[in-house]
Amino acid sequence: MMIVTDNFDDETESQVASKEKRTDEWSECLTLVGQNGDRAAFTRLFRHFAPLMKAFALSGSTLSANNADELVQEVMIKVWQKAGAYNAEKAAASTWIYTIARNSRTDLFRRLQKFDTPLSADDIAGSQESEEAFMMLHQKRGRDRIRTLISGLPSDQAQILAKVYMEGKSHSEVAGELDIPLGTVKSRVRLALQKLQIRFEE
Amino acid sequence: MSNAHPDLDLLTEYTAGSLPLTQSACISLHISQCTRCQRIAGQLADLGACLFEAQEPSTVGDAQLDAVLARLDEEPPLSYAKASKDIGNTPAVLQRLMRGDFSDLSWKNIGSALRISYLQTGDPQHELAIYHFKAGGRIPEHTHRGSEMTLILQGGFSDADGSYHKGDFLVRRQGDVHAPTALQSEDCICLVVLDAPLKFTDWKFRWMNPFLKLRTTA
Repeated sequence: MMIVTDNFDDETESQVASKEKRTDEWSECLTLVGQNGDRAAFTRLFRHFAPLMKAFALSGSTLSANNADELVQEVMIKVWQKAGAYNAEKAAASTWIYTIARNSRTDLFRRLQKFDTPLSADDIAGSQESEEAFMMLHQKRGRDRIRTLISGLPSDQAQILAKVYMEGKSHSEVAGELDIPLGTVKSRVRLALQKLQIRFEE
Repeated sequence: MSNAHPDLDLLTEYTAGSLPLTQSACISLHISQCTRCQRIAGQLADLGACLFEAQEPSTVGDAQLDAVLARLDEEPPLSYAKASKDIGNTPAVLQRLMRGDFSDLSWKNIGSALRISYLQTGDPQHELAIYHFKAGGRIPEHTHRGSEMTLILQGGFSDADGSYHKGDFLVRRQGDVHAPTALQSEDCICLVVLDAPLKFTDWKFRWMNPFLKLRTTA
């Protein structure tokens, strides 16, 4: 887990608390950008998220470094333009920004394949937050739990999740690349989700 | 709330952004009216964000930051101002693909109980279409040469496996044979995504099979 502090050793109570606080820091920054057009807050967001976006753009290594830099710029400008619609009570800044990065990368893949469509990925899969308070609380707890449990995943499951989420590969593409059966990919994903206590039913 | 949902594999690929455009649109329309799937997709998006933040960061120089700061005053593209509300019976996502309401679409009659309107999405591998079944109408028995996703937008239908209503999401796989019948109470409108043409198995309709090419453009 990448911890957003300058120095980190073992995770003590206070560091877990400070990580929590710093997670909120991004939501505060994003709120300042949305409400006041705060450029200093935007610069802080840029310094934290742009290097992650570039890593995300390059993972799976199908995009050139130029394309990756263009994607970073495009996403950060979207973050600036759309920040007014951000609501810190409904989504963590990291999830909101990740969603924009993911959709922009999908659109870029489609553009590079000369795939001409009136739909952008944001039209289809923009953030779909729930309005209900109990679900927001539920989501907050779920997010904290995922953060804590993710470092304990077995490496084969962590590897599959990275390919699915960071490289943006379909289950069958992952199966082809690792030369394992599709069923194995699906069951590793399911096992990982179970370990992360992602809940499917009431 | 609906009773038929996309499975976990599909929700994972949907939230990871790896599904084809048309399938993604179909699932998104289901999620927008299903609190269960909203909750799961929300958790999966949080998982994506955790993995995103756990990456080894790449180097991004100050030149990039300056370039972005210099562009902040650009006008946002018009496309952000999308209609985010459903107009009449037409969900917001579909408004980008059609003009007016379902009644304004151009339809192709397939037998007496079914008419189909093909939407132009640009997706080269998948056909996205609106199916309109007359109330009580039975679709001739057919099988699937590939996968079929169906989201019920209005009314409902039943087949040998059960009955389905507005908001329900179904997947039929290659080789599944069924003969759905629209509910008696009202016409049924569905959004359907195909990656290969249907094939009628009912002998009276088999002659149509050569005509059922996949229409990836309208």
